[in-house]
Amino acid sequence: MTEGPTTAFGDVTESDVRAAFEEADYVAEDDIVTTTLLALRLGKPLLVEGEPGAGKTELAKVLAAGFGSELIRLQCYEGLTAEHALYEWNYTKQLLAVQTGEDPEASVFGEEYLLERPLLRALRGDADRPPVLLVDEIDRADDEFEALLLETLSDFQVSVPELGTIAAETPPVVIVTSNRTRPLSDALKRRCLYLHVAPPSFEKETAILRRKVPDLDGVVATELSAMAARLRQEPLRKPPGAAETIDWARAVASLGDGDANGHLSAETVRNTLGCLLKEVEDVERVDDDLLEELLDAAERATAGGGP
Amino acid sequence: MNDGDRTAPARGIGDHVREELVRFVRALRRAGASVPANAAPTAARSLAEVGLGDRDRARTALRASLLTDREDFETFDRLFEEFWRRLAAGLDDERARAEGDDLDGGLATLGAGADAAASPDAPDGDAPDDGEGSRSVGESFAAGPAPGDGNGDGEEVTTALYSPSGSASAVDGRPVAGSEELAPAFRDLSRSLAGLQGRRFGPGTDHADVRRALRTSVGTGGTVLSVPRRERRRTAVRALLLVDVSRSVLDVVDRGFLVDFLRLARGEWRDARVFLFDEELREVSEPLDAPTATAAVRALEAAEAAWGGGTRIGGSLASLHDRAPEAVDRRTVVFLVSDGLEMGDVGTLESELSWLAGRAKRLFWLNPLAAGEAYEPTARGMAAALPYLDGLFAFAGPADVADLAGQLRRQGPGGRVGYEFDARTTHRQTTDGQTENA
Repeated sequence: MTEGPTTAFGDVTESDVRAAFEEADYVAEDDIVTTTLLALRLGKPLLVEGEPGAGKTELAKVLAAGFGSELIRLQCYEGLTAEHALYEWNYTKQLLAVQTGEDPEASVFGEEYLLERPLLRALRGDADRPPVLLVDEIDRADDEFEALLLETLSDFQVSVPELGTIAAETPPVVIVTSNRTRPLSDALKRRCLYLHVAPPSFEKETAILRRKVPDLDGVVATELSAMAARLRQEPLRKPPGAAETIDWARAVASLGDGDANGHLSAETVRNTLGCLLKEVEDVERVDDDLLEELLDAAERATAGGGP
Repeated sequence: MNDGDRTAPARGIGDHVREELVRFVRALRRAGASVPANAAPTAARSLAEVGLGDRDRARTALRASLLTDREDFETFDRLFEEFWRRLAAGLDDERARAEGDDLDGGLATLGAGADAAASPDAPDGDAPDDGEGSRSVGESFAAGPAPGDGNGDGEEVTTALYSPSGSASAVDGRPVAGSEELAPAFRDLSRSLAGLQGRRFGPGTDHADVRRALRTSVGTGGTVLSVPRRERRRTAVRALLLVDVSRSVLDVVDRGFLVDFLRLARGEWRDARVFLFDEELREVSEPLDAPTATAAVRALEAAEAAWGGGTRIGGSLASLHDRAPEAVDRRTVVFLVSDGLEMGDVGTLESELSWLAGRAKRLFWLNPLAAGEAYEPTARGMAAALPYLDGLFAFAGPADVADLAGQLRRQGPGGRVGYEFDARTTHRQTTDGQTENA
């Protein structure tokens, strides 16, 4: 195996990564920090998997912000093609060039007719710091697109048949996220480091709420985390991720509800549940019994310090 | 274990570590984890980066470099303990040798290190090779992701429903009312499944194909004479249906409904092959093509397709693997109709399902028992099968087919689908949260 190209982040230390996370209020466990550090130092793409709302995309954003790099985002979707991801020829310009026909020898397949798309732009970044390339929700794209990514991810280069190979001087930091709606190809997986972001634990979620929604009462934050943790044990269509809990906390904070002790009422929970659960079936599942259980869990958490 | 100044991170990794790493990777592969071919060098570089001072960091580093799937995390954690212990022992050993000290006491056993595998009386030295290594893929998976809680041992409860031998009887299904309901439900299902197909472009009529238009216009001096168009390529559904016709299944599911379903599948899907199995597997694709349901049943009779024997799911899948592996390819959607009351070897069932799940596009299990309100997949075979499935659905009547189609349409086949999300019932998790997070 050959060594990868030298990276601009080869000398990053763990405290740098922690500082970057800290600055952006991103609460990360040790395994996230270590894996991110490795991805930076080894110059390998990082494949992040986990439930929706677990903070996969946020990780890339935080990295870009923390290291002062540009964030180039490629949102994947079904039917994403090379023209949208890599490069495209400027057809109008080419057509005009052919029609004017000034220089019949000149090719219309040159740099000036090339439109850069996210992948190519990430490779040709001209800033001092290489950009952070976020390939978001790769599992939504087709198998064919995954194959297209392979060249970019392993060699940090793109082959344009008419022009030749365009390689990155300093390779970008690549974060690939997946929601596991379909298995990814082995070829893609073996090029990446793997990180699985678990749904946040009760403690982590409380910490997240404290950082992200500072104007929320501490007791209420604990209660909300406990209820979210309890809800995740139900067979929901879309279990709430940390992102939903943050939304919920913001809603509760802006309503300013809660009695004198800062405890939440069943009514408030019921009214704001739409921030947390995003499917009709899930909302219907929360009947009076379950609501009661949620409030119990919240009470236990504030009383005993755990759900 | 005394963590601490084992090796400085900067020193890179020594021969001993490399050796143990290779051993660890091999143990992982043998235990069924999917470890990419180039993972070991990456792992070595990762270890060199994070150093060996901190056990948790080393574990995270190895996990990030070696694994590609969350399902393998438990196998990894189990084997990692062993790896770390051997590593620590070996490093202590090396250091002790360098210092010229004698090895004695507990250190001596641990210190067997790299050559422990060769010495027969080192009780813990050879575990990754023999102890873990001899576990079958299936066992490791079973030890790994146990979905839900309290699944493992529903044996006592369900034994009564097993059909260990059962006397096979001739096919005697008859067409039933309700086939009018089945047809639209089935059409829905076909449409949802067609949505599984890739989104590759082909010639068609939907969008203008600018790229081709320009290419052809070069020949006419840049004048675009015609605009070629393109569209998403549409593909028919390819499916494989494996139907358990043991006594225990036939007691629950309506035979007429079953035959209707299979006939529709044969008729509407491309290359849908149908196999029946109880204790052995047989293909019945052709008899089902008869013009009417009654004729189909008669054709089944003529083909001497007996049903109502005992259940050997694993063995039947194994004979599919041997005799007709070409029935499954990466475009095939596999439906396995069975109640999961396996009376054969669960290990075989797991290894065959693992083969099937890896090879097919999707693997859905249709379980007649799951139509029950309080159903939990606790039967031995069913619990073992769960990790390999893309979805477990109820299958007792046309309404279940409609629900299957609806769920696939709304959630996509890779989404959170299954009997527990059936909108018509409210399956509630039986475990109470109190004990888990206390």
